[in-house]
Amino acid sequence: MRLGWRLAALGVVFLAAFVVLTLQLWLLQVARGDEYDVAAARQQIKIIDSPAPRGEIRDRNGEVLAATRAASAIVVDRSLVPAEREPEVIERLATLLDMPASEVETLFTDAGSGGRVVVGEDVAAADALFVREHAEEFPGVAIEELPVRTYPQRTAAAHVIGYIGSPDARDLERPGIRPDDVVGKFGVEREYDELLRGARGLVKYRVDAGRNILSVEGRERAEPGATVVLNLDLGVQQALEQSLDNALALARGEGELAVRAAGVVLDPRDGSIQAMASIPSFDPADFVGGLTRREWDLQKNLGAFNNFAIQGLYPPASTFKSVAYVMALEDGIFPDEAAAPSAEAGFFCSGLVEFRLGDESRQTFRDWKPEGHGLVDLHGALEQSCDLYFWSIALRVWSESGARGELYDEAQIQEWARAMGFGAESSIDLPFEQAGLVPDREWFERAQRESPGRVRSDSTWLGGDVMNVVIGQGDVLATPLQVANAYASLVNGGTVWRPRIVDRVVDREGGEVFVNQPRELGIYELAPSTTAFMREDLRRVVNGDNGTARVAFSTLPAGVRNQIGGKTGTAEIDKSKDINTAWFVGVAPIDDPQHVIAIVVDGGGSGGRIAAPAARQVFEYLLLGQEVGDEIIPGEEAD
Amino acid sequence: MATLAGSRVAWAERERAMRPDFVLIGAIAALSALSVLMVYSASASRLEAFGLPSTFDMRRQAIFVTFGAAAFIGASLVKERTLRSLVPFAYAGVVLILLAVFPFGDEAKGAQRWIAFGGYQLQPSEFAKPVIVMTLAALLAPAEEGYMRWSRVFRAVGLVGVPSLLIFLQPDLGTMIVFGFVGLAMLFVAGTTMRQIVALALAAFIGLGVVLSLGVLRDFQLERLTAFLDQESDQENANYNQNQSRITIGSGQIFGKGLFAGEQTNLSFVPAQSTDFIFTAIAEQLGFVGGAAVLFLYALVTWRLVMIAARARTRFGQLLVAGVASLIVFHVFINVGMTMGLMPVTGLPLPLMSSGGSSFVAMALALGLAHAMWLQRSPVPGERQIL
Repeated sequence: MRLGWRLAALGVVFLAAFVVLTLQLWLLQVARGDEYDVAAARQQIKIIDSPAPRGEIRDRNGEVLAATRAASAIVVDRSLVPAEREPEVIERLATLLDMPASEVETLFTDAGSGGRVVVGEDVAAADALFVREHAEEFPGVAIEELPVRTYPQRTAAAHVIGYIGSPDARDLERPGIRPDDVVGKFGVEREYDELLRGARGLVKYRVDAGRNILSVEGRERAEPGATVVLNLDLGVQQALEQSLDNALALARGEGELAVRAAGVVLDPRDGSIQAMASIPSFDPADFVGGLTRREWDLQKNLGAFNNFAIQGLYPPASTFKSVAYVMALEDGIFPDEAAAPSAEAGFFCSGLVEFRLGDESRQTFRDWKPEGHGLVDLHGALEQSCDLYFWSIALRVWSESGARGELYDEAQIQEWARAMGFGAESSIDLPFEQAGLVPDREWFERAQRESPGRVRSDSTWLGGDVMNVVIGQGDVLATPLQVANAYASLVNGGTVWRPRIVDRVVDREGGEVFVNQPRELGIYELAPSTTAFMREDLRRVVNGDNGTARVAFSTLPAGVRNQIGGKTGTAEIDKSKDINTAWFVGVAPIDDPQHVIAIVVDGGGSGGRIAAPAARQVFEYLLLGQEVGDEIIPGEEAD
Repeated sequence: MATLAGSRVAWAERERAMRPDFVLIGAIAALSALSVLMVYSASASRLEAFGLPSTFDMRRQAIFVTFGAAAFIGASLVKERTLRSLVPFAYAGVVLILLAVFPFGDEAKGAQRWIAFGGYQLQPSEFAKPVIVMTLAALLAPAEEGYMRWSRVFRAVGLVGVPSLLIFLQPDLGTMIVFGFVGLAMLFVAGTTMRQIVALALAAFIGLGVVLSLGVLRDFQLERLTAFLDQESDQENANYNQNQSRITIGSGQIFGKGLFAGEQTNLSFVPAQSTDFIFTAIAEQLGFVGGAAVLFLYALVTWRLVMIAARARTRFGQLLVAGVASLIVFHVFINVGMTMGLMPVTGLPLPLMSSGGSSFVAMALALGLAHAMWLQRSPVPGERQIL
C-alpha cells in the first residue's frame, strides 16, 4: 500500500477536523457543562408569583387602621391575544375603562410583544365581572386579584401608621425585596415591614420553547402578613388630633404664626403610647397609587410627612424646670436665701436679676413676669413658673462647682435631665426619632471646635449658659415624646420606660408572633416624698390660685380638675418677632397617674393660653368621655 | 494454462479481493441504526403534540435506511469502467434536475430545494454531491502529479461551478461551500501545484466576499452569518438557534441525560432537531461519551476511505474515494461545528444521521461507490493502473 504524501496530508487535515470537534465537545459538555445545565433548567421553568396581602394594623381595641383588600386588576397576556384581534381588544378595553384607546395601545406597546400588560389596576367589580362573562370577546385578558392597601381612618394617626412605597436602593439590600415590591417607608409600616409584608406566593410551571405551560411543578401559597396591634387608642388619638387642630386655630386667630403642632399621650406605668399626633397630617392612602411630584412637594413643605412628636426638636422651656425641681429636693440644692421647702417661703422674686460684669457693664436677666412673683418657695416657684428661683438654683450649682468649688458637679442639672431621657433617643419603635440636646461645657467646647457659628466663640461656657439650661432654653432641645416620657418618670417614682407604639404582632390564627414587652430604659432613685411633692405641685399648676394653667382648666368641674396636674412652657424662639412655642405637659389622675400628655404648638405663643386648653380637651375625653368638638376656650397668657 | 493449483490460487486471490470492508460497513451500519433511534427521540414529543403517531418520522427514516442499504449494495457492485462511462450522463442528469427545481420545486423555509416525487420530496442537491465527486474524479484522473495544466483546473472549476451556481440560487449556501472544499481537496490529491492550490483558495475567499457584498444572499442567510460573526448580538433571533443548540449540548454533560430524557429536545428548544441539529439530540441524551463515540464512528469511516483511496486500482478510483471522504468530513465538520457554535448556521445535514431521504440515500450511494473501489482494489498492494 502506498499512501502518497497528498493523501496523507488530506488525512491529517481530516484528523485535525475531528480533533477540533472533539475538543469543542469536551469544552461544552465537560468543562462548561454545569453552566449550560443551569441555563437549560432555568429556561424550562417559568415562575409566576403573586404578592402577599400586607398584614393589618389595628389599635388596642381592634379598630382597623390599615388593611388590605383584594382589588381586581385587568391583566392582558399579549402572547395569548391573536395579532389580528389586538386592535379590537384594545378598543373594547378602552371603552370599558373609559380611557383613550391610544393610552391602552401605549401600555401594550410598552410591554412588548408577548408581554404582560396591567390595564386597570383597581377596576370596578362590575367591569371585572363583564370581562369574565365575555371572555370570548377579550382573548388573553384575565382578571387578577391584587392586594391594595387601605387606610379606613384616613388622616388619623397617619404618622404612626406611616405609608408604603416602592423600595429604594437601601430597601433593596434587604433580603427578599424586589424592585416591584411595596415596602413600608414610614411609621409602623416601615418599622414592622418584615412582619407586615408576608411572603409572596409562587407557581412554578414547566414550559416548552414557545413558553407554553406544560405542567405545574410546584406551588406555594402567598402567606399574608401578620397583624400589628398598637397600644394606641383610636378614640384618644382622634381627641388629641382635634385638640391640636383647635389649638392651632386658636393661635392663628390671635395672630400667631402657628403652623405645626404635635402631641403624645402615654401611660406612665409601662411606656405604652396611647396617642401620638403631628399636625399637619396626610392621608396614607395617597401613597398607594403614588403621589405626584407636586402633591409631594406641597405637603412636604408643610412638614406633613414628618412626625413632629418624635422628629420635632423644640426648647422644652419651663417644662424643663421640673428637672431642677427634682434636683433641688434630692440633692438639697436651693437658692442661697431660700429655706428648706418645708420652711416658710424665703425667696423673693423681684422680676429681674442683674450681674456686674468685669468691665463695669451690667447684664440683666428678666423673669417672664416683669413685676416678679414676690415671695416664693420651691413649690410656688413651680406653680408660678418663677424663672428667678430656678436661675438661683443654677447659679448655686455654678458657684460651688468646677474651678469655683467642689460641692457640686457643674453638669449636675444636665445629668438629672439625661437620667430622665433627655438628650438621647428613647428607642421608640418608630423610625427617624431625634435625640435632642442637653448642652454642657463639654458639648459647648466641642461645638466651638467642630462647628463654628453654632455657638458663640468669644467666651467659654458660663454661668449664664447654665441659667438657660435650667429653664429649658438656650441650646436645650427635646421632642414632645421626650418631655412626656420624662414626666412619666417624674410621677411614677423614677422609672424611664421605653415608649412603645406596638403592643404585639399576631398571625392569622391569633398566635403571637412578637410581643413588645415593657422595658425600662433606666431608673433613677427618687425619694417617695419627692414624687409626692412633684405630683402635688403639678396639681397646683392646674388648680392653684397662681397656677399658670389655672385659667385653662378653670371651667372644669372641681372634682375632675383636682385630678389633673401639669406644667406649662413657653419657649422663646425669636424674641424680636415675639415668636414663642407653646408647651403643656399634663398628668392624670395625678394621685394614680395613667396618662401623661405632652403638647407643643410650634409658634403658638403662650403655653398657658394655647397649649394648656388643648390638653384640657384631651383630658375631658380621657376622664369624662367627652368628645372633642372644634370649639376651644383660651387659657391665661402665662409661661 | 491454468493448473489446478494455479486456479486455486486465483480463486483464493479473487475471494480475498471480493471481501467487503467490514469495518467501513460496520461503522456505517452503526451510524444508520443510531440515526433511526435519534430521529425517533428528537421527533416523538413534537409529533405527539401535533396529534400524529410518535413513530411517524422514525418509520420514514427506517425506510430511507433500507433504500440507503440497497443503494450502498448496488453501488458496491458497479464496475469502475461502467461507472466512468456513466459520468457524463449522471452529470447532465443532475444539472437538468437542478434546473427543474426552479419551475417545479416546492419552497420551504425560504428556499427552493425540493421536487415532489411520489409521496416523497426529492432533494436534487443531495444527489448532485456524489455526481460532482464522480465527475471531478473522471476529469482529474489523467492529470499527472505536480504538472497539472491550468486548463484542467479551469475545467474542473467550471464543472463544479455550474451545479454549484444552480444550488446557490435555490439558495443553498452550505452545499456550495461543501463543493468548494471537496473540489479543492480533490484537486490537491489529483496533483495540483502548490501555487494552483493557493490561487484557488484565494479565489474562493474573494468569491465568497463578492457574494456577500453583492447582496445576492437572502436576508436569513446574511442574518445567520452576521449573527455568527457577532455572537453576543440579538440572542432572540438569529443567534437563538445556536445558543439553544449550545445550551442543549452543554447540558448533556459527560454521560448525557439518558435516551428519551433530553428535556431540551423534548421541549423543542432546538429548532430542526431531527434534521440539521440532530447532533444536539445525541449530545444531550448520550452526553460527551455518546457524542464523541459518534464522532469516532465518522472518523472510522474516514480512515477506511483514506485507506481505500490508497489502495484503489485506478487514479479515477482513488480520486473518487478521496472525494467521498472529503464530502463526509466537511459535512460532519460544518454540521457539528454549527451545532457547537464553531461554524455559522447553514442548512447542511449530518451525513447518515439527519432525518431525510435524499441526504441518506445519496450519502449511502457515495459510500457504496467508494466501497466498490475497495472491492476492485489491486490484489498487489501499491499496484495501480495508469488509466
